[in-house]
Amino acid sequence: MNVQSNPVTSDDTSARVLSYAEAIREAMAIAMQADPTVILMGEDIGVYGGAFQVTLDLIDRFGPDRVMDTPISELGGAGVAVGAALTGLKPIFEFQFSDFAMLAMEQIVNQAAKLRYMLGGEAAVPVVFRMPSGSGTGAAAQHSQSIEAWFGHVPGLKVLQPSTPEDAKGMLLAALADPDPVMIFEHKLLYKTRGHVPEGSYLTPIGKALVRRAGSDLTIVAGSIMLHRALEAAEKLAVDGINVEVIDLRSIRPIDRETILTSVRKTGKLLVVYEGVKAYGVGAEISAMVAESDAFDYLDAPILRLGAADAPVPYNPDLERASVPQVDTIEAAARRLARREV
Amino acid sequence: MMDTDNRPFAIRQYAPAQLREALKRMYLIRRFEEGAEDSYTRGMIHGTMHLSIGQEGSAMATCMELTDDDKITSTHRGHGHCIAKGADVGRMFAEFFGKETGYCHGRGGSMHIADVKTGNLGANGIVGGGLPIAVGAALSAKRLGKSDVTVCFFGDGANNEGAFHESLNIASVWKLPVIFVCENNGYGMSTSTARSTAVPHIAQRAAAYSMPGTTVDGNDFSAVSEALHIAIARARAGEGPSLVENLTYRWRGHSKSDRNRYRTKEEIEAWMAKDPIARFRAELIAHGILDEAGADAIAAEAVADVQKGIEFAKASAAPDLSEVTRYVYAEAAL
Amino acid sequence: MPVEVILPKVDMDMTHGTLATWHAAEGQLVQQGAALFDIETDKAAMEVEAPATGYLRQITARAGDKVAVGTTIALLYAEGEAIETLPAAETPVATSAPKSEPTGLQPTEVILPKVDMDMTHGTLAIWHVAEGDLVQQGAPLFDIETDKAAMEVEAPATGRLHHVSAKAGDKVPVGSTLAWIYPEGLAAGQAPLKTNAPEVAVQTIAPASVALTSVPPALQSTKVTVGQGTRATPAARKAARDSGMILDDVKGSGPLGRVQKADVISLMTAHMPAMDSPSFSDWSRERGPLHISRRQGTGKPIVLLHGFTADSQSWAPLDKALGSSSYLLRVDLPGHGKSPKRHVNSFQDLARMVVEAFDDATRDSEEVHLVGHSLGAALALAVADIRPRRIASLTLIAPAGLGPEIDAAALNGIVRASRVESLTPWLRRLTATPEGISDDYARAAMRARADVQLRACQTDMAQALFPDGVQSFDLRPALKRATCPTQIVWGRNDHILPYDHAIRADGEFALHLLAGAGHIPQIECPERVARIVNRMIRSVETVG
Repeated sequence: MNVQSNPVTSDDTSARVLSYAEAIREAMAIAMQADPTVILMGEDIGVYGGAFQVTLDLIDRFGPDRVMDTPISELGGAGVAVGAALTGLKPIFEFQFSDFAMLAMEQIVNQAAKLRYMLGGEAAVPVVFRMPSGSGTGAAAQHSQSIEAWFGHVPGLKVLQPSTPEDAKGMLLAALADPDPVMIFEHKLLYKTRGHVPEGSYLTPIGKALVRRAGSDLTIVAGSIMLHRALEAAEKLAVDGINVEVIDLRSIRPIDRETILTSVRKTGKLLVVYEGVKAYGVGAEISAMVAESDAFDYLDAPILRLGAADAPVPYNPDLERASVPQVDTIEAAARRLARREV
Repeated sequence: MMDTDNRPFAIRQYAPAQLREALKRMYLIRRFEEGAEDSYTRGMIHGTMHLSIGQEGSAMATCMELTDDDKITSTHRGHGHCIAKGADVGRMFAEFFGKETGYCHGRGGSMHIADVKTGNLGANGIVGGGLPIAVGAALSAKRLGKSDVTVCFFGDGANNEGAFHESLNIASVWKLPVIFVCENNGYGMSTSTARSTAVPHIAQRAAAYSMPGTTVDGNDFSAVSEALHIAIARARAGEGPSLVENLTYRWRGHSKSDRNRYRTKEEIEAWMAKDPIARFRAELIAHGILDEAGADAIAAEAVADVQKGIEFAKASAAPDLSEVTRYVYAEAAL
Repeated sequence: MPVEVILPKVDMDMTHGTLATWHAAEGQLVQQGAALFDIETDKAAMEVEAPATGYLRQITARAGDKVAVGTTIALLYAEGEAIETLPAAETPVATSAPKSEPTGLQPTEVILPKVDMDMTHGTLAIWHVAEGDLVQQGAPLFDIETDKAAMEVEAPATGRLHHVSAKAGDKVPVGSTLAWIYPEGLAAGQAPLKTNAPEVAVQTIAPASVALTSVPPALQSTKVTVGQGTRATPAARKAARDSGMILDDVKGSGPLGRVQKADVISLMTAHMPAMDSPSFSDWSRERGPLHISRRQGTGKPIVLLHGFTADSQSWAPLDKALGSSSYLLRVDLPGHGKSPKRHVNSFQDLARMVVEAFDDATRDSEEVHLVGHSLGAALALAVADIRPRRIASLTLIAPAGLGPEIDAAALNGIVRASRVESLTPWLRRLTATPEGISDDYARAAMRARADVQLRACQTDMAQALFPDGVQSFDLRPALKRATCPTQIVWGRNDHILPYDHAIRADGEFALHLLAGAGHIPQIECPERVARIVNRMIRSVETVG
């Protein structure tokens, strides 16, 4: 999958192309080179290179003291990262699959997210959790979930989901520069996608959505891999004269309220697409946010959500594909919305 | 030190001024908690609290050799740890009263009392919550090339949490400078260790993680300080973690809601007879560190400090209601 | 010193506890740690042990009493220790409690309780106990009256009533402190401060100069201006609201006929007059005196000044309601009705023309009653300001000139409308609910506005008087100066001019707020307006 990067995000004219995984690796290498307190922790991230090869060869460059294979102890490992962050290090903790973070919920939600508040601002936990996420790999129910909304519910955390190699690098560097705990959801199907990535260090702002495609007939808010599916659907709709605005929801918490509301005021129609289970998800939050705002008066149709089926992610490849939004389902929903059929 | 010196370890090891200060801090813990309890029953303290009255020896002796650069992680029964590590009781009371001048600006209360400047990374409302964090703090010290150690307080209840086992294993594998101090007061809320834990002594768990494990009388100041002295030396030497189990007892219930249906009066009275403060005081007097009048003066100082602390807390301002979301994130970052 | 026995907090969210039973009697020796009393909370019963060994004395709470956490309920005295006298200033306090904090005996606050679901205020009807008198817990303490009912309130504690801050007849917000009850032995000093209590704002009954007109409930409905049963998107509703249209008139193109924004827009553009059509800027200016129509009658004449875009005809419903004996003089404003289409530079310019007409029309009368509506009311104020001795009374209906806000969209819409379809939506803003304007009324209004020149003249006037959609003239000083008996009549559902202009204005006037009426009460409910005008005239003439 090739993704056009938004021209406003870069003034780098070189046409350097990297994969999403390479961009993340480059960000980690830049940060470790610049700051000796940055360490990597995770299961099999050393010589193995991580389950998705994102940390490949970093152990050769920075040694086992800074690229630390943890035992298979998600709770202990994540907690050690939290404690280290509390006392002067900047750990990047890789969960092998974001699903495994459930073993570490205690440390992420009760500790990392709350320590600053519980201690009245006297403590900081600048830890970064990397969360390989999403379906499409045939790994079934316990290795394919999209649980970013769970963390969107937790004050104290920041939750990001870069959709391009350029943002994957810039957001990881921004997360490391941020004094609070940040969770970055990386879609496993994006790791091999390629795109333009600027050289050197740069920060992609946290909390900012981006209009990836301007349009006037309806707004689609989508992030991560769903952005690409939404853009593809938008191109198909354009053939029929339906002009879709597509917003890249790069940050779930904090959420970029203004970019979304501005677009809805313009188009009057909103479709939210996300890979998490539809119920109680990111789409619910965005829909309610719009309905509660002055943008409500600009809505010219009901808000639509497309999310995952109300089921665990299935194994059968056709079932798996059918369980989450795809280009054709997004296109169909957007068409109905644009044609006033809902 | 002569080999023939058979005085208790603490008397041999520490200067008289240090020992008097330790006694003072133990009295301060006791009077602080009594004052907090009194304020609580008068409805001036919100929520609940977990008192450690009876466990002062364990808290103070464990912290005896720690500097402000050394870290501790504490538990829901953490008032004693906080004072032993050097916190100011006025700011602690202010926190309990929910005031802006409190250590956590009224956001944490008793269960999250902390004083980062004296190395206390905070009490924790989650049983076992502090264990991995302590290991992380030890990792920081090692990675940053410091000789600081981290003491991880936890209760007997936490030894059956997964976090305990994962933390001890990681600390041992990575040879981190952390001392796991179990304050075994016999009960996880109402369930006794005998009914909940497969080994008779929690220190026996150490064998599974290839580290030294020691069980001591937690109400014997000298015994605890000696065990910690050895464990801290091992940690500072880069030899890795240790597990120390202090056998002690809480005189009060688990929390203020405890109806005390699981312990007998006789059991409580038997432990009250082993009051760690009275024992330490008698030991200091016996070895000529101070006399009765000196001890009384120290006890009176603690009373005065506590009264002053309560006054300070009461006179302090409450947090501004418009600042309910302050401290969720770093201020400059938003 | 004796050791106090307090009612302890034993549960996380406990604020009060009920004393279930004492295990020791007054005067009895109890041992430290022995069961002293039982308390009951919402959740559980619990035994409380004696905090010290001693003789139990001065018990203040009996079995069954519900007591606040921290209250001293008894004292334990050592053998031979002298019994201390309370009050609480001398009550022993625990070592950790500061002297400044009241502990032990405390006065009990008497508040105005919420006794009705939607109650925000209550009127204190009567105290059953005088200040300083003793009252028993549970005895009637005072009566309150709400909109719905009267009710007796019992004393929350036993003691003497002090610091009574509300008297019979006062209307007080719910939760306000009314007094304090001091237990016997506790001296009443300064009234205790109650934190975060609402200020005791004693609401005075409306002053004599403001007469609040009550309205039959049938008229009190507040329907919104959009069609009730119509399915429409929020954007369509907003578009309709902004243009004064009724959604019922719009045919929806969405699913099941739901009205979409585009449906409203297309209907609106179909009805929109060409804004820059030459007829609006090109009109021949006329000269000459304003037209005055008369209806002969008895008594001092009533001079009627109509509002912008109306004319003398618009007074017809009120004419009728005032009764046939009234002597009426109706002035047509320039560019309105039968008056010449004179060019108006400014409000002052307009006021000059009206004063001229006024002088001319009332030459034979010493004094007149002046009634104006909207712009006409602003002009009436201007006339009264210039000719104060000629005005017997002044009635201002929905007056302009008392604040900057005005619904400029409606103003422009009416001025410019060239067909009944485009006029109707705007006319419907004039009344409290859109249904107030019938199709016949709208057609008649459009017939009166058929003259392109008249519309052009009024457009020109609108630009002079309401530049950028703001009322450019301010008659608040004139209102303040007015010396004759003055009253303002305003519809509570006026969508053109907000009635709170009157609420905020200073001056000696009576205010009649009519629920269920919009901007043209003289047309919406002429009998009520006539009653108000006639009452004023009668009162002035009787005194005269």
